[in-house]
Amino acid sequence: MKNSMIETNNIDFDAVVVGSGISGGWAAKELTEKGLKVLVLERGKPLEHGSGYLGEHAPDWKLPYQGKRPRELYSEEYKWGSKSGSLNEANRQFWNNDKDNPYADDEGKPFMWARADVVGGRSVLWGRQSYRFSAQDFRANAEDGHGIPWPVDYDEIAPWYSYVEKFIGVNGRNEGLPQMPDGELQKPMPWFALEKTIESRLKKKAPDVTLTSARAAILTEDLPGRSACHYCGPCPRGCSTGSYFSSLSSTLPAAKATGNLTVRANSLVERLEYDPDTGKIARVHVIDTVSGERQSYSARIFFLCASTVGSTQILMNSTSEQFPDGLANRSGVLGHYMMDHTLGESGMGLFLDNMDSYFHGNRPTGLYIPRFRNLDGQDADADFVRGYGFQTYTLRMDWSTGFNAKGFGAGLKNDLRKPGPWIFVLSGFTECLPYEDNRMYLSKSKVDRYGIPQVAFDFEFKENEYKLREDARKHADRLLKAAGAVVPVPAGRKNMSMPGEAIHEMGTARMGDDPNQAVLNKYNQAHDVPNLFVTDGSFMTSASCVNPSLTYMAFTARACEYAVKQMAEGYI
Amino acid sequence: MNRREFLQCAAILVSGVTASQLGVALTKEQQVYLAAAPNYNAGASDLLNEAQRKVIAAMSEVVIPRTETPGAIDAGVPRFIELMAADWFNDEERAIFLSGLDALEARMQSDFGSRFDELESAQQLAVMEAMESEASDSSWYDFANVQRDFISDAPFICQIKELTIWGFFTSEVGGTQVLRYSAMPMYFDGDVPLSPDDSSWLTRLG
Repeated sequence: MKNSMIETNNIDFDAVVVGSGISGGWAAKELTEKGLKVLVLERGKPLEHGSGYLGEHAPDWKLPYQGKRPRELYSEEYKWGSKSGSLNEANRQFWNNDKDNPYADDEGKPFMWARADVVGGRSVLWGRQSYRFSAQDFRANAEDGHGIPWPVDYDEIAPWYSYVEKFIGVNGRNEGLPQMPDGELQKPMPWFALEKTIESRLKKKAPDVTLTSARAAILTEDLPGRSACHYCGPCPRGCSTGSYFSSLSSTLPAAKATGNLTVRANSLVERLEYDPDTGKIARVHVIDTVSGERQSYSARIFFLCASTVGSTQILMNSTSEQFPDGLANRSGVLGHYMMDHTLGESGMGLFLDNMDSYFHGNRPTGLYIPRFRNLDGQDADADFVRGYGFQTYTLRMDWSTGFNAKGFGAGLKNDLRKPGPWIFVLSGFTECLPYEDNRMYLSKSKVDRYGIPQVAFDFEFKENEYKLREDARKHADRLLKAAGAVVPVPAGRKNMSMPGEAIHEMGTARMGDDPNQAVLNKYNQAHDVPNLFVTDGSFMTSASCVNPSLTYMAFTARACEYAVKQMAEGYI
Repeated sequence: MNRREFLQCAAILVSGVTASQLGVALTKEQQVYLAAAPNYNAGASDLLNEAQRKVIAAMSEVVIPRTETPGAIDAGVPRFIELMAADWFNDEERAIFLSGLDALEARMQSDFGSRFDELESAQQLAVMEAMESEASDSSWYDFANVQRDFISDAPFICQIKELTIWGFFTSEVGGTQVLRYSAMPMYFDGDVPLSPDDSSWLTRLG
């Protein structure tokens, strides 16, 4: 197979993968390991695993402003990235400069699009939470009529979840819950004493919920070339021990080891060129963001993994006589049915238990309360469909939460240096339904510095999302009281995120069996163009309430196997 | 490397822009990781004169004095305050800072005939307590009002307190000798005995 594919017809590469983030890294690994010569195109700057992590392990006293964020710079040049709490001077090198690479954020409705700008993409910066969609999630659209049915069910994708989990390394606890399917997990990270106290109280007073370890793609056991976490704390500065999963630490090195990988950074994809004679994509057109030169590459198959908005932008900008409304868009749904989770503090509580218990090390993940609403049909008291889960954060108050106290001198110094009470936060992650009128589109008046139309968003959360938030707030209050919070603090304005703020944008090139209603088939292959695959969040037919990256990885690996089989059998 | 060069290097290193775009060339030795960079509060500034520096130092020491452990001056807080006022404050905040410093000096001259730093420590404390009392309506003191970058219209005394406390606990001296710090904890244990006199960890999760 190898030879027949490589030695034919002056084709530059067997496969082009656009994007090197979570999905692109997986596509690169799978396709190169199956013998294909692969070109990965990355819009962002080069970044070397390890040696490129310039802020890693820098103590506060070494950071500019000792860790205070430079406000003027961020508001001028990192308008959207800085809305994420994880942008700081120790990792700014990874982030997109929103002034240099803007989007039309003054059109449509307010939408936060937070981007990375390096090889590895947002996999270097991600929150690392890794959950499987449940069987119920894959049935949801068919059952309640929102969106279109998923063309796959849980059993079909489960082996791919296992395959991906084993490679990336996910720690957590199997609970045997249908709404949170068991996985291939490494041992969980230890709990705070307070969390065990809360667990025992919830077991008695709120038996309808399960408090478990969050599932995070951070190693607690070594894997080849990667070490178990050393608990330094700030993951988004990069991890030279590869303890958290990123493309840079894991999939791209695996791809490179095959000898079949070429990565080209600073390479912005302008469009894909459709050949009406073959009915396939012939070339990808690229702009070198340093030299400004335009180049193009031919390949047999093309994988778009440029992130939901990035890939959809490329499709929309790749018009032709055959596809005047965007490549592979005969259905007309491209850009529509966009989703993002809602998130925010649904409630937090002050706790005075376990005050004589402290900790060693910085645990880079929390606990999780999986979905407990509408599990068995519609709950009698629910005026909404779908559900939500709670991610929890446990912290001990310290000088940084008490510095605005009155007073001076030795007493103040002594108060500030010691730990205060515990805080336990319940952060609701809420499902968002797919709506046709929640969409992204290309601005008619604004182009970027290369002349490519900027994207704009027309997106808002609707009634079901607001009802879910309200229900999450109510139940967070109940759970915090059951957990023994001395002062439960109900959620205020922080209960509802702005569109895009979860950085889980998805669904703009959804998959489905009906080519009139979906861009992609069940293998992430474009219905209209057989050698085009889209495997980032664009393909998502519904959002579930769990973090989506693990699902992107599983579908990407599956799509790669399918694509290579199709090539071998001569279909593409 | 002077402070200006350092900041340019830090900006270059963390932003990934090429040196030529900023008009400086990086030498080999300048291509350092932040962990190997000089301490921020070792930088140079020319915002204040020597007399003003003495006043700021004395004020910071009133907020966090040397006790059996190091205080604000030991930890380099006065220079941190000057650097932040020069480079991190916006124009409005810097104006509050500089006019607050001038007003304090005028008041000290008329009330005591000497500079703030020349007063007895009990007098210094009384002066700052009076300033805090006058500022007590500021939203800076609002309960739990700590999750923000800065309150731009915070009065001078609040600026001094925030920069002193932040500059102290995130300094090398404050972070390691008054708080506890470990760059490489190697394991996590969520149930370690805490004695009543133990200090917090200096931690950063972002």
